[in-house]
Amino acid sequence: MKNTYTSPLLRLLMVPIWVLGGVACQSNFLDLTPQSQPNAANFYRTANDFGNAVNGAYDAIQTSNQYGGDFNTLIEARADNFFDNDPSSNAGLRYNIDRFIEPTTNSVLRDTWGSLYTGINRTNLILDKIDAIEFDATLKARYKGEAQFVRALSYFNLVRLWGSVPLVLTAGTTADARTYVRNSVADIYAAIEKDLLAASTNLPATYTGTNVGRATSGAAKALLGKVYLTEKKFTEALPVLRDVVNSGTYKLLANPVDPFLVTNKNNAEIVFAVKFKKGGLEGHGLWYGTNIGNNIEPSLQAAYPAGDKRLALVQQIPVPSNVNVVPRKFYDEFSSANDVGNDFPVLRYADVLLMYAEALNETTYSAAGEALTSLNAVRTRAAAPAYTAAQLSAQATFRTAIINERRLELALENDRWFDLVRTGTAVDALKVVGITVPPNRLVYPIPQSEIDTYNNPTTFPQNPGY
Amino acid sequence: MLTLLRTHRGRSVAWCILTTTLLLLSHIGFAQTPLTGTVSDAATGETLAGATLQIKGTTTGATTDGQGQYRINVPAGSTTLVVSFIGYQPLEIAIGNRSVVDAKLTSSDNALSEVVVVGYGVQNRRDVTTAIGSVRAKDLANQPVSSFDQAIAAKIAGVQVLQTSGAPGAALSVRVRGTGSISAGNDPLYVIDGIPLSRDTKFATGSTNTQFPDNPINVLSTINTDDIESIEVLKDASAAAIYGSRGSNGVVLLTTKRGKEGKTIISYDSYVGVQQVTKKLDLLNAYEYATLNAEGRNNAYLDRNPTGKITDPTSVRSSNPAWGSPSTVIPPQIVPYLNNTPGLTNTDWQDAIFRSAPIQNHTLSVSGGKDNVRFYVSGNYLDQRGVVINSGFKRYSARANLDIKSGRLSVGVNLNPTYAQHDLIKGEGPYLGEGVVGLALQIPPIWPVNNPDGSFNFDGNGWGYGTTSILNPVAIATQVSDKLSQLRLLSNVYAQYEIAKGLTYRLNVGVDVNSFQRDYFRPSTLEIRDAKGPSVPTAFSRAQQFVNWLVENTVNYNRSFGRHNFSALAGFTSQKDRRRANELTATNFPNDLVQTLNAGQVTSGSSDLQEWSLLSYLGRVQYDYDGKYLLSAAVRADGSSRFGANNRYGYFPSVSAGWNVSQESFLKSSTWLSDLKIRASYGSTGNFQIPNYGSVSLLNYQNYVLGAETVVSGLAPGNSANPNLRWEKTAMFDVGFDASFFRNRLTLTMDYYNANTSDLLLNVPVPRSSGFSTELQNIGKVNNQGIELTLGTRQQFGKLGWTASANIAGNRNTVRALGPTGDPIIVSGGVAGAQFITRIGEPIGQYWTMQYDGVFKSQAEVDAYPHTATTKPGDFRFIDTNGDKKIDFSSDRTTTGSYFPKFTFGFNTSFTFAGFDLAATVQGSQGSKILNLIRRYIYNEEGNGNQFRGALDRWQSEANPGDGLHNRANRLQTGSNGEISTWHIEDGSYVRIRTLTLGYSLPTPLLSTLHLSRARLYVSAQNPFTFTKYSGFNPEVSSRPDSALSPGEDYGTYPLPRTTSVGVNLSF
Repeated sequence: MKNTYTSPLLRLLMVPIWVLGGVACQSNFLDLTPQSQPNAANFYRTANDFGNAVNGAYDAIQTSNQYGGDFNTLIEARADNFFDNDPSSNAGLRYNIDRFIEPTTNSVLRDTWGSLYTGINRTNLILDKIDAIEFDATLKARYKGEAQFVRALSYFNLVRLWGSVPLVLTAGTTADARTYVRNSVADIYAAIEKDLLAASTNLPATYTGTNVGRATSGAAKALLGKVYLTEKKFTEALPVLRDVVNSGTYKLLANPVDPFLVTNKNNAEIVFAVKFKKGGLEGHGLWYGTNIGNNIEPSLQAAYPAGDKRLALVQQIPVPSNVNVVPRKFYDEFSSANDVGNDFPVLRYADVLLMYAEALNETTYSAAGEALTSLNAVRTRAAAPAYTAAQLSAQATFRTAIINERRLELALENDRWFDLVRTGTAVDALKVVGITVPPNRLVYPIPQSEIDTYNNPTTFPQNPGY
Repeated sequence: MLTLLRTHRGRSVAWCILTTTLLLLSHIGFAQTPLTGTVSDAATGETLAGATLQIKGTTTGATTDGQGQYRINVPAGSTTLVVSFIGYQPLEIAIGNRSVVDAKLTSSDNALSEVVVVGYGVQNRRDVTTAIGSVRAKDLANQPVSSFDQAIAAKIAGVQVLQTSGAPGAALSVRVRGTGSISAGNDPLYVIDGIPLSRDTKFATGSTNTQFPDNPINVLSTINTDDIESIEVLKDASAAAIYGSRGSNGVVLLTTKRGKEGKTIISYDSYVGVQQVTKKLDLLNAYEYATLNAEGRNNAYLDRNPTGKITDPTSVRSSNPAWGSPSTVIPPQIVPYLNNTPGLTNTDWQDAIFRSAPIQNHTLSVSGGKDNVRFYVSGNYLDQRGVVINSGFKRYSARANLDIKSGRLSVGVNLNPTYAQHDLIKGEGPYLGEGVVGLALQIPPIWPVNNPDGSFNFDGNGWGYGTTSILNPVAIATQVSDKLSQLRLLSNVYAQYEIAKGLTYRLNVGVDVNSFQRDYFRPSTLEIRDAKGPSVPTAFSRAQQFVNWLVENTVNYNRSFGRHNFSALAGFTSQKDRRRANELTATNFPNDLVQTLNAGQVTSGSSDLQEWSLLSYLGRVQYDYDGKYLLSAAVRADGSSRFGANNRYGYFPSVSAGWNVSQESFLKSSTWLSDLKIRASYGSTGNFQIPNYGSVSLLNYQNYVLGAETVVSGLAPGNSANPNLRWEKTAMFDVGFDASFFRNRLTLTMDYYNANTSDLLLNVPVPRSSGFSTELQNIGKVNNQGIELTLGTRQQFGKLGWTASANIAGNRNTVRALGPTGDPIIVSGGVAGAQFITRIGEPIGQYWTMQYDGVFKSQAEVDAYPHTATTKPGDFRFIDTNGDKKIDFSSDRTTTGSYFPKFTFGFNTSFTFAGFDLAATVQGSQGSKILNLIRRYIYNEEGNGNQFRGALDRWQSEANPGDGLHNRANRLQTGSNGEISTWHIEDGSYVRIRTLTLGYSLPTPLLSTLHLSRARLYVSAQNPFTFTKYSGFNPEVSSRPDSALSPGEDYGTYPLPRTTSVGVNLSF
């Protein structure tokens, strides 16, 4: 029999086998790395990486699940400034929160919880990895401070919305996460204080150029002041707030409308704001906008004294070529991408002055002291009549005046519900607008998905009454 | 040889050794006597090229050449020659002492005699030991459809073809034996002339809306159905195991037509037809709508102001903000309707968007062969306009299949360039996603399509009075320009060499190049929801290119030792896919004149490059003893770039066995039993449809704004890393038999299978405190088991011929394990409350909703049963399923049905009589449920959008409670009637006449006068009748056909067309 290997034709045929076979046999044929998306395994290695990671941390608090939108439902609609009058949309998803009848499965709760921890994970990754990398010490301190600020703000919102939650301070695996428990409220506040104390030394007082808008030492202190007030640690609150007041970095603008103008972002009254830009990618939907009738509580609008310039800020005005109306405080015109771009003020100098007045009143009440000056600075700026020492002749009266003033000044700025809860006035205030608050609903139910994932009533119980 | 070995490194050594061994084996020869002859068609006398000859009881075989001649060596002791050819009855001829044996074959439709394509080879149906379903060219003909997958509906038991959207050129959902995967996709692997296609192209064209995705286009519609010779579906894991990590969902093998030696045949096949929607929904007219609207407003007003009167004017109603103004005032636009003023606008919006749409298809082919060269060349043009205005699909395709034989060498090439053009409209989704059909159902009939000046009317947008803004669907459909083109070159070349008797080597090199371009422009003439007046135009341009190449080296070996017949296959293949995507979006166009992006300002752009690769080794051994006892074993090893570093290679073995009982002597003489084969198989396959880089933690761009509106780059991990990620595994056991009775007049095939899918890829919910919501893990198990039955008959009553084939299949899907804790997976569909649950012991993706139990007819009924805080008489009664005397929309949810049918069936029949032929295909499905989410809008009694006519039976008062099923009209709903419940779930069972065809073939004398070899005229109706209780357009609907966790939702869908066509088949 003829030896087939000698056939010239077959030899010719062997060429493509080996050539093409050889191509495929290259040892790296199966090792394909992502070409168009960066890979976490080779990230967190340079100063630039950490810069990008810090920006990514700010992005978390900017999402629609936090300052981009849902906080308005969770903090303002829940309180007595604003109501949701739409029981039909999404089977009353937001209406139910407004009326204290939200089920544990409410997706706003789930998404906001998740978003807050997404931000915390981003800051944990930065803080876990930054010390191992060598780069400019000042810049490194700033990045750490920014991460600490975002982490503290996230935990502060978590603890006020839900009470006891898992306290995660290093980035763990998803398997680690299954072992987390609900830590005590005291532990969480201790961690917040620690982060903010560190941030207030790590962060610079001001920024220039494209860094304007990052967290400052003033922002860290102002936030720490709010944390102390919430904990009723008035003695500790006083010095940090005094630092902010005396820093000279911030001032009240002449007109109470001015701090909110989209043409006047980064103004001297803003201590910290979550920043947005309209045009499709970094904008947001209308805040408190509606097309189905008034949704600002009439009781809020009625609470302004005659001539108070702040009343206009909580009145709804039409948006050009749109059927929605929006409170003037958050007025902006739609971009071609159908979004708007107000910044959300998280901490404002007027807030700092009122907190300072509160800390003074609670520690060293004096009818005619610095507390009254601070309170009246906010009032008179708005053309509201100044309080006299005689009107506020008792510490309790003064206290009520401050809480009322905070409502008028900071309406719709995501403070009201927290102020009502921390001062123990939520039930009474909501009664005025016709809502009976069940006593257990001063904190929200833990999202059902989270309860289900842990499935352990001992280490991960639901909040009482839910 | 040794030199070659040295130059070859690494893993390839295994291959090299294998090849060498096989090459060496071929040296061994046996003494044999030669036999020659010619094979021809018994009826026409035409010689048959490519017919298979085999010495019975051995695997010694040959095929006929271009002249229909063969040469075969007869081993000593062999007595019988078996001749077979696709479409002909096999013939057994005693050889005797002859050296020349001619064979005349009779054409046949008997399934058992077919040659079927199995992976990397062909087999006689009689020898197949696995579950393979086949469809032949003639079964595909006569159907006015744009893609072959539509034509195989109802043809194969256990293969469910669902047309989820009626849009021209829209993708179908094809499921082989149920749903095995939750996240990795359930589409079968398509292999066209040996080229396994990448599934990635399916999602190449993206969507205009992320919340309500478009039904993807059908990338398989580039294949001209007229070019297809046969379709095989490998149903069991043993058959599919040769495709290893891609075989879990079944494999569809497509073989295109090839030239046959002999006279050149020119064929022209064509049809033209007209399409209409199969049904319209019965909605309210403008007067009924206005009445409902006013009643809803009055009820909402009286809820808030119990002392008010329905005669209160707007001034009174809006005097107190607590009274619900503006939702509770009567809009002046409906007042004339309430006064029954005749002649007012009363638009039927369905008529406005639907149309009678033409379809035409033309294929011209030339095939033939001479002197070792055979060819099949065809050109095709298809133009299908859609039944919804401004939609359509066009295809221009060509095919050239060429085979050349020179001695022991055969080479060939298949070239199939196609250009397809889709005119897209947004057919899916509700008004929110600008779904044209959803808008047309919902927009009030009180608005006209056009203003008197001819411009589009947008009064439904920003009407005010607390109504939802609804855009004009005719304007959306006609003004948005959304063009998508697909340019595809699918081709391969092969070379096959017979190294020695029985040993062939084959090299197959294929490439599938796909280039997609989608251009979208939304002009200024369209308003934006809630914004009045001209809008700022927006546009995007999206390009994706896929290059997928394949190199296959296979060696086939056939040997017989007496009655022991062996055949073996070994192969080594590599395949790589590279996807390049670019997208730009733009806005601020100065006008609508120039719609390309250069006229606007580019607002964002993205670019993406992804790759995957697959390196495989495969082998198969088949053995039979005397054609009675059949055994087959196969294995494939797949390495893929998609798998995590710790699990690069997967191994997929299979075995199968068969027993041709009827070949046994004790049955051979049976008069009633013609054939009986019992077979069993077990095999393991995989599903490698996991993300290209799923094992890696990728960073997402998460930007922020700083300074004076500067966007700064941010990065954050989007998922956690999982280096253990791997393919999903399916192990399937199949047992069945093929029988035929009474000289093949009656055939019966039955299969039972049990498939366990493990290492299920799941986006496992993780505690959100980890920073992530889910992680992709190989965890979880799903079981599919079922029974398939096919019964066929073939009868001749004088001149009347009758064939019928009925198939029925039932599949039971059960989740066996999920996640680390076994917790159910609950996902939401088109709206948060539309939930689906996947939990252990139950099928994937059942509806998880409230149970509705009519309306509370009176306050007494409300008081007597648990209800929501706001429930009033006339609101829905939800069932307190957990019996805690409270209605809670989380704890009172329960499983309320599944999209999976209990069984599906198909029936195909044909009659022939004196040149006439009549054929029908019926398709049915029993026991599926559909979540008809569009009822949220058109059956909510809110007086907002238009409503089903059933809304007239609503509760109006305790004295007039309606039919007890429809809730009270109320613009500001009480009682949470909108919560997703069984009110929104309907029975999706149906029986559909899919095709009805009547044809007439011209008689031979007339043909010769006309110089034709064949001429047939026919009329055909596609989807003429559907019998179903489902209230929507299409009971096969599924808004997210690729999301296994949430199947079966109808949130506005493009209706199926009913097509009436006339066609011709001519051959010259």
